[in-house]
This record gives sequence, structure tokens and C-alpha cells, in this order.
Amino acid sequence: MKHASISVVALAFSTVLTAAPFAVQAQDKVVRVGVLMPISGPGSYFGVMGKEGIDLALEQVAKANLNGYRLQVQYEDSACSPLQATNTVKRVLDQFKPHIVVGEECSDASLAIAPILEQAKVVQLNAGSVTMKLTESGYKYVFRIFPNAEQQSLPLAKVAYEKLGARTAVILHEKTNAGIDNAEGFEKPFVAMGGKVLAKIDFGRDVNDFTAIATRIASLGKVDVLPTFALEGQQVRLSQALAQAKVVKGGGGSGVQMGSIWLPWGYDTKAGPAAIGYVRIVQFDPTENRKIVQDFIKAYRAKYGADKTPTHINAHAYDTILLIAEAVRRGAKDSESIREQFSKLKDFEVTTGRITFDAKGQNSDLSVVHFVETQKDLSWKGLDWR
Amino acid sequence: MPDLLALVVQQSVNGVYLGCLYVMVALGLTLIYGVLNQINFAHADFVTVGAFAAFFVATRFATRMLGLPDTGGYLLSLVAALGAGAVLGVLVNAAVFAPLRRRGSDELRPLIATIGVSVLLENGQLALFGPIPYQFDSPLARETIRLGPIFFSAQSVLVVAVAVAAIAALYGFMRFTFLGKALRAVAQDRETAGLMGINPNLVIALTIVIASALAGVAGALLGPVVVLTPFTGASLIVKAFAIVIIGGFGNMEGTIIAGLAVGIIEAFTVQYLGSGLIDLVVFAMLLTMLVVRPTGLIAERKEENV
Repeated sequence: MKHASISVVALAFSTVLTAAPFAVQAQDKVVRVGVLMPISGPGSYFGVMGKEGIDLALEQVAKANLNGYRLQVQYEDSACSPLQATNTVKRVLDQFKPHIVVGEECSDASLAIAPILEQAKVVQLNAGSVTMKLTESGYKYVFRIFPNAEQQSLPLAKVAYEKLGARTAVILHEKTNAGIDNAEGFEKPFVAMGGKVLAKIDFGRDVNDFTAIATRIASLGKVDVLPTFALEGQQVRLSQALAQAKVVKGGGGSGVQMGSIWLPWGYDTKAGPAAIGYVRIVQFDPTENRKIVQDFIKAYRAKYGADKTPTHINAHAYDTILLIAEAVRRGAKDSESIREQFSKLKDFEVTTGRITFDAKGQNSDLSVVHFVETQKDLSWKGLDWR
Repeated sequence: MPDLLALVVQQSVNGVYLGCLYVMVALGLTLIYGVLNQINFAHADFVTVGAFAAFFVATRFATRMLGLPDTGGYLLSLVAALGAGAVLGVLVNAAVFAPLRRRGSDELRPLIATIGVSVLLENGQLALFGPIPYQFDSPLARETIRLGPIFFSAQSVLVVAVAVAAIAALYGFMRFTFLGKALRAVAQDRETAGLMGINPNLVIALTIVIASALAGVAGALLGPVVVLTPFTGASLIVKAFAIVIIGGFGNMEGTIIAGLAVGIIEAFTVQYLGSGLIDLVVFAMLLTMLVVRPTGLIAERKEENV
């Protein structure tokens, strides 16, 4: 009898213990946000900048009324690697049980986690990958606020042909899904308009010296434009090598180097005079007068230092939290309702423009995307090309 | 100069410059193998430490605190990187390699230890310096020298000059100094060298310090050329290993020839085949060498290697 009493008490106690977290969870209205970013490895600067943007947004969102809900964020290192991202997202799904996952930055890693999140019916909000496949594979739970390869490369091709009068091009791109998609996104319309691609030159992320590549381009004859799709570090060295070989304007040549939204603010000062004449498409422009942009910059500087200027990576990450908060404010409380609210969202203003998702989950509003040209003092001159 | 000839000369110049950079990275690697019969996976991170040491000395200490001009600051940073590499070599040897040697461990443990040192250094630098790429601009990298249609940067002249000087100094040290001869004796037979009054531990420590100092200088030369992050060295180490294997593991002459050959072959691969095929060509060379001539380009008796 005594044993039976002890068993009953133990059972009751363990039941209370087991049920307690659920009771707390039920009272604590939380939307769980998993953030997969490269925190280690060569792409880790994405993660550092992304975390800055998210932390800042979380501080601001915490003060807002989200129908009694709060956002709970868990950062995970996915290292820009498909393998690590796959393992990480499985673990996050199992342990943290997120309602939405923000990430990854690199296209290859984003593609790797998309089918897993789709199967788990958890929303993936992407703010840094360009590969077309992410929103062209029929996933219902994938949303992307970053312009895809076509949205970036088609305007580049049009501006090259129609505004710059370019008829010849050499396309330079890293050997990744992102680089390949961007390169193809430029080549097809440029050739269709009557332009000629003299060479498509790809390279791995481990290539550091671009002198031989610049020499080869110099040997191809007159090149009007050089659309380039690489990460910032390689882009800087590439520009310097092209200037040294007198291929581009920055080195006294006639070719115009063109770049994508990939490039963060600050590239021009890092590349120095080699960047002069560089024409690129930008989405987040710190010189833009919209109130939300200037408020963001002010808050960013107050938190991280008055001498710092946020990049598009900071801004895109910041925007993901604003977007999730807006969905929650509109009544979303789990993955399904977040997906529903995202699908309904129209013209929602963020620092990187306005968000309206199309049927594939791709932001279709490119109203703030525009072109800038690097001047002799390395400042940006806005070009009236959209 | 006809266009084709100019192009060939230009790519050869590019290749020699690139080859000299590779040689600078690979020399320390082959030196350690030649004497210790040990592969040092942390070598790439010694290169990165040298690059960061040079960066901070050139951009913070020399120009801001000492008021040196940019060029003077950068040249001073080469010396600082050499020192930083040497000090790191002393520390790593004292903390890791020497205790392992004292315990007479097998060949595997020091090898694993070098991987541990590599991960430690990489993540230590990541914690200290962060992941955002540093812009290490030497005034020499911005200066372009033009000889007719041929161009190269003043930085590339410095790279070639330092590589030649380092090779000459190393050769002179090995051939004409007592310590150099002792080092070769240890490479030949550690026990017999000990019986002849040579302190093998001291010689091994010296080897690690020299190799680390070379890695430091290589880092200072690479800094203004590459994208400087805590992972800079890691992007070069696979190529450096390929060069060391092609040249004959532990053979300095072979490493120099292989380094230059790989640099030149890379430049012409970019020109005529495509930059995306560089690794394919280099590693096809490596496999061919392993199959046809596993001892490397220059196969000598081990004692002649270093």
C-alpha cells in the first residue's frame, strides 16, 4: 500500500513536471524565429551584419504591440554550407520548433534547406540569396525579399545595352548557383537585344589574384561592359586588377564594370580609384531620403557606432523582423498563419523598399531599386535608371 | 612587340609573380617536413597571423604612431610579420610539438595536433578580428609599372625580390652555417646527429621557428593581394600542399620549381582554357606526378632535401 502511495505521488509529481513547460508555453504567447546564418567560415561577415540588423529590429519590435505576442529568436550557424545548413535546420526544427526560419544568405545553403522546411511546413524567409531555383521550384513556404537573379541581371543588361550603348560584354562570376544564375540572367537578354558576350569567366571563391584574368580580358579587344557577380572581397581585388590592366574606367580604360545588389556599401572606398566609373544596381541606399531609411541609419549608429553606415545586409536582416512582426500584428501566430499573412501583404514599407510577394513568394516590388555610378571622390551618383 | 608575344610575356610575368607567392607559402611547409617528417596543417594559419600582424603594424602602428610614410610602414610590417611568425613558432613548439616529442608519441598525434592548432588559430583570429574582410592596401600594390605593353605592380616586384632573398638566405644558411649543417644532419638521422653533439630538440625548434617566420613574411606579402580574413591562409594551403607534393615532399629546390611552374601554368590556364579549370589542371598535374613520379620533381636522397 505504501509502495502504491509512493507511486501515485511520483506519478502525480512527474505529471506536474512534464505539464509545467506546456502550461508556461501556452501562457507565453511566442512566435519562434530560427535564424540560419553563416557565423563561421569565409561568409561569416554575412552573419555578423545580419545579426546586427536583427538585434536592432528586435529591440524596436519589443516595444510594439504584437497582439500580446513576442518574437523569440534563435541564431544558428549554417556556415554558407549546404551540408551544415541541412544538419542545422533539422536540429532547429527538432529542438526549437520554429514557426519561421530566416536564412540562409548563400544560395547553395538556402536551396539545401528549402525542401526540408517545405516538408515541415515551416515558412522560410530569405533575405540574401539570388538563385532563381529558390522561388521557381514550387515551394509554398518560401518567401524572399531579396531581388532574384533575373530581377537584378535583366535591368543590368537593359542599362548596359540601352543606356550605356554597350555592344560587347565580358561576364565575370563566381562558380556558385548565385553567380551562375546572375551571369545567365545577364547573358540571355543582352544577347537577345543584339549584344555580344566575348567571354564568360568563372572563378572559385578561393581565387585571390585576378591579374591573369585581367590580362586575358585585355587581350579580347574592346569590351564595353563587365558585369561582375562576386562577393565583396573578390570584387575589390578584381576591380583593382582590371584597372591595372587598363580595362576599366578606373584604370584609364573604356570598359564599364557593372555590379549587383550583392555588393555592400563601402566597396568603393575599399577598391579605391579602381572603382571610379563602376555602375551598379542598388536596393538599399543610405543616401535615400525615405524616413524609414534615415530612422534605421540613426538607430543603427546609436547602437553600433556613429562612424558606421549600415550595409544592405544589415538592412535586409532588419527588414525580415519588421516583416514577421507585421504578420504577427495582423494576426499570425504560427507557421500557417504567417504564410497566409505574407501572401496577403501588399506594399509594406521596409528599409529596402516595399514588399509585395507574388504567387511564388518572391517580392515583386522593385520600386526603390536603382542605379548608381562611383564618382572620382568615390561617392555615389544616383542615375535615373530604374 | 607583337600582340601574341606580349600576351605570352605578360602571362609569364603574372605566373612568376603568383608562383613566387606560392613558393613563399610552401617553403616553410616543405622545410618542416624535410626535417621533422611531419605535415603541418597549421602552416596556413601562420601565414594568416603574419598577414594580420603586418596589417596592424602597417596601418595602425607604423603610420599613425611612428608617423612613417605608407611605404616605410609597409616595409616595417614585413619585419614585424617575420617576428610575429617566429614568436608564434616558438610558442607552438613549446606548447604543443615539444611536449609531444618528449613523450615520444607516434607520427599521428603531432599530425592531429597541427590540425588542432589550425582550428585554434583560425577561430582565435575570428574572435579577435571578426569575419568582415580587411582592406590591406600597400602603396606598392597601387603602383603600376609599365614597360611597353607589359605591366606589373610594384608589389609584385617586392614579392619576387623577397622570395629570391628568402631562398638565397635559406640556401646560404643551410649550406654554410653550423646550425644549417646541424639541421641537415638532424633531417638525415636524428639519433646519430644527437650522438655527434647536436641537440636535435634545439634544431627542430629552430626549424619550426624558421618555417613560421617564412610563413609570417608570406602573410605580409599576401595581405595586400588577397582578401584578408581569418580564413585567408586556408584558401591557399591546398595549393601549397599540391606544390610541395609536386616538388617532392621536403625538397626545397623541388618546391621552388613546382611553385613557379604552378603559377605559370595557372596564368596560361586562365588565358587559354578558363579560370574555372585552374584547380582541375593543377590537381591533374598532382595526380600525374603521384602516379608517374611519386617522389616529386626532384627526387634526391632525404639528407639532400633540406
